[in-house]
Amino acid sequence: MIPQLDYIIDKILPAFVTFYLVSLGHSIFEKSGILNLAIDGVFFTGTGAALLGAILPIIYNIPISPPVMGVLVATLIAAILGLFMSSVLTFLPISHGAVGLSLQFFSYGVGIMLGYYVRLAYGTIYGVSFAREDVLYLSIISLVIGVVLHLFIERTKIGAAIRAVGENPHSAAALGVRVMAIRIVAGMLGFALIGFGGALFILSWQRSWDVKLFTLGYGWLAFATALAAGRHPIVLIPVSLLFGGLVNSQTDLQSRLGIPADVAKLIPFLAALALMLIYSTTRLRRIFASPSSLGKPYYKEEKSI
Amino acid sequence: MSSPLLSVANITKTFPGGVVALDEVSMDFHPGEFTVILGENGAGKSTLVKIMYGIYTPDKGSIILKGREVEIKSSLDAIKKGIVMVSQIPQLVDRLTVVENISLSLTRIGMFETMTRVRRFFKEVSEKIGIKVNPDAKVWSLTYTQKQLIEITRAILLDAMVLILDEALTYLPMEERRKFYVYLNEFKEKGRSVILITHKIPEALEIADKIYVLRRGKLVGALDKASANIDKIRDLMFGEAAKTITYERFTKPYETPIGDIVLNIRNLVVEGDYGEIAVNNVSLSVRAGEIIGIAGVVGNGQRELLEAIVGLRRVREGRVIIDNHDVTNKGVKLTRESGVGFIPDQPLRYAVSADNNIVENVAALFSRKNFVVNWKSMRELSEKLINEYGIYPPRPEMHVKLLSGGNIMKTVVSRELEYASKALVAYNPTRGLDEATSTFVRRKMKEKAVNSKLAVLFASEDLDEVLQLSDSLYVMNRGVLYGPFDPVSTPRSKIEELMVV
Ligand SMILES: Nc1ncnc2c1ncn2[C@@H]1O[C@H](COP(=O)(O)OP(=O)(O)OP(=O)(O)O)[C@@H](O)[C@H]1O
Ligand SMILES: [Mg+2]
Repeated sequence: MIPQLDYIIDKILPAFVTFYLVSLGHSIFEKSGILNLAIDGVFFTGTGAALLGAILPIIYNIPISPPVMGVLVATLIAAILGLFMSSVLTFLPISHGAVGLSLQFFSYGVGIMLGYYVRLAYGTIYGVSFAREDVLYLSIISLVIGVVLHLFIERTKIGAAIRAVGENPHSAAALGVRVMAIRIVAGMLGFALIGFGGALFILSWQRSWDVKLFTLGYGWLAFATALAAGRHPIVLIPVSLLFGGLVNSQTDLQSRLGIPADVAKLIPFLAALALMLIYSTTRLRRIFASPSSLGKPYYKEEKSI
Repeated sequence: MSSPLLSVANITKTFPGGVVALDEVSMDFHPGEFTVILGENGAGKSTLVKIMYGIYTPDKGSIILKGREVEIKSSLDAIKKGIVMVSQIPQLVDRLTVVENISLSLTRIGMFETMTRVRRFFKEVSEKIGIKVNPDAKVWSLTYTQKQLIEITRAILLDAMVLILDEALTYLPMEERRKFYVYLNEFKEKGRSVILITHKIPEALEIADKIYVLRRGKLVGALDKASANIDKIRDLMFGEAAKTITYERFTKPYETPIGDIVLNIRNLVVEGDYGEIAVNNVSLSVRAGEIIGIAGVVGNGQRELLEAIVGLRRVREGRVIIDNHDVTNKGVKLTRESGVGFIPDQPLRYAVSADNNIVENVAALFSRKNFVVNWKSMRELSEKLINEYGIYPPRPEMHVKLLSGGNIMKTVVSRELEYASKALVAYNPTRGLDEATSTFVRRKMKEKAVNSKLAVLFASEDLDEVLQLSDSLYVMNRGVLYGPFDPVSTPRSKIEELMVV
């Protein structure tokens, strides 16, 4: 019993909160109709920013816990990227894919800039990370955030506005929605959560940071998580747990099934595909469908029918 | 005379591609007046009101509200200035519920508020004007007319000073229409202004205090109640083509010979979007060369019936037999390939691919079995349809969504009539078309029935259309089909009564 609990606290939960927050943020972001191909970059910026943030209290003697400061800085910087991406893509009718991918590489750079010198100066980051048991509180907090956001999206007017601009920004505008403002809200909120996830990735899960570590591609895995769960904040919970588990048992599966490491890495993605296939044959398809205008360049004067 | 509440002055709007939609147009809208804007399809009516509602910005010209020049930057801006529009093509978000859509317009609803108050507001207004729509229904499950009713409710809730109705009243069910006119009169008496766009000219004459006529983007007439008459208006709108307009029958019922049964519908039971019984044990048959019309108020199962016949909706019980082949639940591909033309309830959404051009939309149906599309012949066919139906602007490469509402409809109708070789199944076949074009389309339907022995089954919310065209007519009410009736000898009142009881 005890070793299993250890495994959950040390491995599963940290992976779960990371995936959950990143995929949740990504889902909120995409619900507003903007395709997010910057996810892995923003995730990485989150890690670098968290690292920088976490040492600030030590350098400047600020009375705030280092990892909490790390989270704050990461969410803030990610939110700024969200502001940028949402507003540019709402203001200009240009390709979401091109902007997203460019921003991804830009954010890799930002992440390196933020984290590199800290890493040089400090080496290990154990001292500024979350304590082992904190992951329990963090999990609870992220679950609360998820449930609140779900209610917020499904029940409130602003939630309806976010879905409306994702479905059809032209109709939304004709109804009286400020497309720009709503997309900025969703964009900042979404990216802030991705930044939060990035912070937890290093401050609670990996507890180390390296320029070369990058993100292990986990940003993209969160992308798949969100797809597999139909961007639904509640459905994301079990799916993130599943993915967190799969990532952790990768080496285990690898040796047990006797497959090469690269193939084992595919397992979570295959699981995502399988989940999507399953629900696409049921009525859930309609609930989980992507926003109709996802990735479509928006031009105010364009005619829509 | 009072000074205008709202004026537009010298408005010019050119779209990319060089279409001059509006050319130096000026109009005044006075408080307490009902202004009607008329014009053939593509004349620029929708473009003008979209400018007033903040959807488009004019290239030139000004908008003057209560004597002061204003700029209307967005629809929200328009709403705040008291200008509200009910669009020709409903601007609602499909995957949101009715009340969610409405909440987005209401500034008195806080951003973090839930739908409770909106639901109450909606119920109050919908009871007042007699609209029966479930406030928590998702908009995609509603019919075109129901969506317009939702937009009307929204407009009333917004308590506008200037209310713009772009072809929003045409298909309003009688009861709602009556109540809504009462409301509009109250509205006028409060010193507010109504702007109406319609293709029903007799009705326009009845209610208008003032009429403006647009033609190819230019203002060609401004008439007041006293000086307006129907011939003068039609002449301004259509020129020569005005003479072709008629609401008389083309032939007496069954004057031309009919052949064997083509569409045979036996005891059909079909579910609606929520699993309710929408079509209840309906049987009818249509013979080659025969035109059967179904009259009825929106939402009584007509849409579900037609969709089930062509294979777009699952049949729960009963049989659909086309040309002696049982096609029940065998899918739309089979019916289409056996030569059935189909005009759905929301043609602008479900019958065209808006981002493709006319040729591609024609090819999508005519080349459905070809591995390689013969673009040359598709282009020729498109050109033929464009000429025949007067699709404007006459450019085969034009993206369908850039056409006016009526011209998109012409694209659909022309393609389906051309394609239909055995049968035509149509819902509101002339929705959104101007008088000259609707007459043309109805005449064409009749011709195809007579000359090509087409079996025609159509449902229309416009009773006049059913009376003009059908050899026999039925009435559909709450999923039940009543009839057949003779369109000439049956008293209109009897049919109307069956529609609403
Ligand atoms: N966004 C757009 N881009 C390009 N052309 C457009 C656009 N909107 C409208 N047009 C063109 O402007 C002209 C006027 O269109 P408009 O929709 O105002 O006509 P309408 O009078 O409302 O016609 P209808 O009775 O068919 O609704 C049409 O030729 C149409 O093709
Ligand atoms: Mg129009």
